[in-house]
Amino acid sequence: MRRFVPALAALLLAAPLAHAEDTLNPPHWQSEGVFGSYDKAALQRGFLVYQTVCAACHSMNDLHYRDLTDLGLSTAQAAAIASSVKLPSGPATLDDIFKAPVVNASAFGGALPPDMSTLVAARPGGTRYIYDLLTSYQDAPSDVTLLPTHYYNTAYPGMQIAMPPPLKDNAVTYADGTKATTAQEAADAAAFLTWAAEPNLDDSKEIGLRAVLFLVFLTIIAIATKRKIWRESL
Amino acid sequence: MSEQTSWIETRLPVAATLRAHVTGILVPRDMPYSATFAALVTGAVIFLILSGVVLSVYYDPWHAFDSIQFIIREVNFGWLIHGFHATGTTMLFGAMYLLLFRAILGREYKAPGELVWFLKLIVLLLLLLTGYLGFTLADGAQSYWSLHSSALAVSQMGGLPGSVGAWFFGGPAGPSTLARLVVLHTAIALIVVVVLAIHLAAKRAIARIPGRPVALHPYYTSQYFVAFAVFGLIFAVLVFFAPHLGESRLNLVPASGLVVPDTIVPPWYLLPETGIANTAGSAMGHMINFIAAIAVLFALPWLDLSKPGTPPKFLSRVLSYVLALDLIALAITQTAASSLLTGILSVLFTAWYFLHFLVLVPLATATESN
Repeated sequence: MRRFVPALAALLLAAPLAHAEDTLNPPHWQSEGVFGSYDKAALQRGFLVYQTVCAACHSMNDLHYRDLTDLGLSTAQAAAIASSVKLPSGPATLDDIFKAPVVNASAFGGALPPDMSTLVAARPGGTRYIYDLLTSYQDAPSDVTLLPTHYYNTAYPGMQIAMPPPLKDNAVTYADGTKATTAQEAADAAAFLTWAAEPNLDDSKEIGLRAVLFLVFLTIIAIATKRKIWRESL
Repeated sequence: MSEQTSWIETRLPVAATLRAHVTGILVPRDMPYSATFAALVTGAVIFLILSGVVLSVYYDPWHAFDSIQFIIREVNFGWLIHGFHATGTTMLFGAMYLLLFRAILGREYKAPGELVWFLKLIVLLLLLLTGYLGFTLADGAQSYWSLHSSALAVSQMGGLPGSVGAWFFGGPAGPSTLARLVVLHTAIALIVVVVLAIHLAAKRAIARIPGRPVALHPYYTSQYFVAFAVFGLIFAVLVFFAPHLGESRLNLVPASGLVVPDTIVPPWYLLPETGIANTAGSAMGHMINFIAAIAVLFALPWLDLSKPGTPPKFLSRVLSYVLALDLIALAITQTAASSLLTGILSVLFTAWYFLHFLVLVPLATATESN
């Protein structure tokens, strides 16, 4: 018993450090892994990046402002965010879909910004792909001739993308004091889009853990029942 | 016995039926767990019908992709029911292929088991069709183009297959196509239940009379309890922790004329059949290959030259396992991007499939029975 006390103390001391862990080097997300759940602070930061930067060109037609309560916001806070969005019919309400931008068909050389509702689920690499795409803009090598209105991006298939580099340092100001580097903004946006594509991930893992534990016990009981029946009467 | 039950019993013999079909049945005392596969298939089909009923309440074929997103995001526990239906399909085909493999390994198709074997194959064909139709109902970029190419191929055939195809699909993946496919998906699923019931009756009719039998209940109902608990456990792990297993990511992009997959990948349970079909060049060739692949399975009771009732020996068992590996390898080849190598491998694995049934099985069983 005594042997475990130092180990326990070390664990407790390490816990606050775990909170301050660097999630960018290498980039990883709390929702990854079998028992991972969404980091709501990161989701809220990601929503700010979406609202400030991405929403200028990308729609999210499967999401409503009421869904923001999933990010740890109260209904009043979500309603306040909605009412700050101006729709043609007046201020948005909780039951409105995220405001779709009006993108001129000739903008970006005719490329259409995709709807981002299921983007993470639809792209190979998922969350990590979004992060890589947002952080992999570079100057084109001298032997590459870019298409007109395209940018060199090593994470994009074909390496030439019509989307201009969307993020820069301090593009947003985070309410929780997190330093708004390009990498931080990209990681938070990737976390937010992961939630948008898989909003039921936390529920799924929570119910799943209970269901699996229940079924493990049911299996044990079933095996014990079968053995007892066969032993008793043969 | 209360008056109420006896009143019922004289008019509808519930207890007597249960005695005759569950509690009173005598079975051999050495049935392995693999004897529960048929029950697992039936259980999975009923589970899929129940979850499918819930989905069909909200599914709208005219806005198919959006209505599925609505089910996942807005309907109470819609994501769970959708996951049950999607992952339940994986469990169903897992149990179905194990059932067929067990029948091949144990020579269950030999007389007097031919009809039971045929009914198994009919269940497989109906399930493959139902599964494929369900896949097209997702209306993602992958399933849209898969439906488009199969409907187009069928309509180009002309003659009777062309007419039936045109009636079945209603044109190459137009908006009304999904509206009729959702009806056919449901109708065929209900036919599967009927065929499974006939399969059970046929299996009971030829069941051997054991020397020292035991009652089905409680001896084998307790075995079914274990089998269903383990089946449910595997299902729960997949549905909650790997909900997108075997799903093409491109199918989460809404169907669009502008998003075309470079490789059309069917759902995993159709991969071996697609592999065999695709080794031919034309649409008619695909169909002939598929029919030939199924025909050798139907002919298996006569391709196997062993005497009925003799257990398979070492060589036959090895060949059965090699056939299973061959089909798994063929399936994996189909998921890779199309290239010269995958083309050659597909032809080799398909050739082995036909070689197995048409040459190796007759040879091996003939030498073994001498």
